[in-house]
Amino acid sequence: MTDRLTGIESLNVYGGVACVPVAELFAGRGLDTGRFGNLMMARRAVALPFEDPVTNAVNAAAPLLERLGEEERDSVEFLITATESGVDYSKSVASYVHEHLGLGRHCRLLEVKQACYSATAALRLAASYVASDVSPGARALVIATDVALADERAEYAEPATGSGAVAMLVGDDPRVLALDPGAFGLYSFETLDTARPSPAYDIADVDRSLLAYLECLRESFADYRARVEDVDLMTTFDLLALHTPFAGMVKAGHRKLLREFTAATPAEIEADFERRVGPSLTYPGEVGNLFSGSLYLALAAALDTARPAAPLRVGLFSYGSGCSSEFFSGVADQRSAEEVAAMDIAGRLSARAELTFAEYLEVLPENMRCLVPERDRKVDVAAYEHLLDRCADRRPMLALRAVEDHHRRYEWI
Amino acid sequence: MDDVAILESIRRQTVAVVPEIDPAEITPDRSLADLGCNSVDRADIVTAVMEELAIEVPLSEFRQGAPVGELVELLRTHA
Repeated sequence: MTDRLTGIESLNVYGGVACVPVAELFAGRGLDTGRFGNLMMARRAVALPFEDPVTNAVNAAAPLLERLGEEERDSVEFLITATESGVDYSKSVASYVHEHLGLGRHCRLLEVKQACYSATAALRLAASYVASDVSPGARALVIATDVALADERAEYAEPATGSGAVAMLVGDDPRVLALDPGAFGLYSFETLDTARPSPAYDIADVDRSLLAYLECLRESFADYRARVEDVDLMTTFDLLALHTPFAGMVKAGHRKLLREFTAATPAEIEADFERRVGPSLTYPGEVGNLFSGSLYLALAAALDTARPAAPLRVGLFSYGSGCSSEFFSGVADQRSAEEVAAMDIAGRLSARAELTFAEYLEVLPENMRCLVPERDRKVDVAAYEHLLDRCADRRPMLALRAVEDHHRRYEWI
Repeated sequence: MDDVAILESIRRQTVAVVPEIDPAEITPDRSLADLGCNSVDRADIVTAVMEELAIEVPLSEFRQGAPVGELVELLRTHA
């Protein structure tokens, strides 16, 4: 591998066409509002029953591809979907996504899984492929896509769990984030903290998951520091973006990292959190946990909120239950701010249809069966038109209309 | 290390993280969640106790909802 710069050329977030205010969910479920502050969330994305991991991925990536010329589209020769919401044990989500994005046939298709770490592994794979120069000018499209399987059984994870996707075009003109070559730290070990043992439900041991996250953050950063010269946690990184299952977890991670690796006082830690981590929490507070897209949702938020005017370094931490983690870094600049702003992520999040708790409860049973295999199924897309009508200035979107003899059928609406 | 010293450390760190909790209520049969600690509080308490006592427990051995008595036992085993 060369030291050529590679990384994220463009990035887009799909945070649903519908959302529910988190305060409504807390009230509806009778959850303790004292814990509201731990989530730091205003709304969370809610899928409509014609949405699934395929539509989320396509709806995130289509706006990126629309901006490319034909030659640039054809340069996408690697499509990787990162998901823990697979729709088949053999056939990848990527195969459907490839079709509905209209990508060229001279392209590799792959689906990867390692809980919320998988998009980072996919990004690494894609960037290394580009850097290897085996196919000069080639690009890869990495899409983290997932759906929520959280109902009242998930307790406080229900308001925190989002649905949607983040798409990233990876190439050798990394306008959004140029990955620092060779700068990473890894930490992985086997544990059962959260998992999806069935297409119908998730399991979680919140305590074990939080402790594993904290251990991985400390150890992957220590590994990063061992591999990269002259790293100072306080000065090397201008912004920090961490996997964000909920903001309280990120805050605990940041506090632990600074307590262990710096001499910062509690007041300094708090101020540093606001300054370097705060910008990354805006979109997670509107969408919820996007699984392996969560880190890149946080990155989009950091760049869109902080709007770098000059080159700055972003420290990133990716964690996936089970567990595997990576601390790495990259450089963003004014082009990053422009590139992310062009997607109008904030505008599209604020244009979503806001559901009441009762409307949320109506779509929930349908959403919970999103991944359950069925040979034949019809989805009444028109039944949700009244909700779609609430979206301001909605883009055309892909919708699941049926499953016919196990083949998923989609349409643009 | 005896159980009393470990329990005292858990009491100290719990009150440091969540000052509203009466230390007398932190007994082996109660869980930190029962006492009103959220998941982040619990992680803070457990890591602070491990730091104070210089004990490293593999994190995957902790489980959600464990009573304080089980935490004491876990910490003693790895002391």
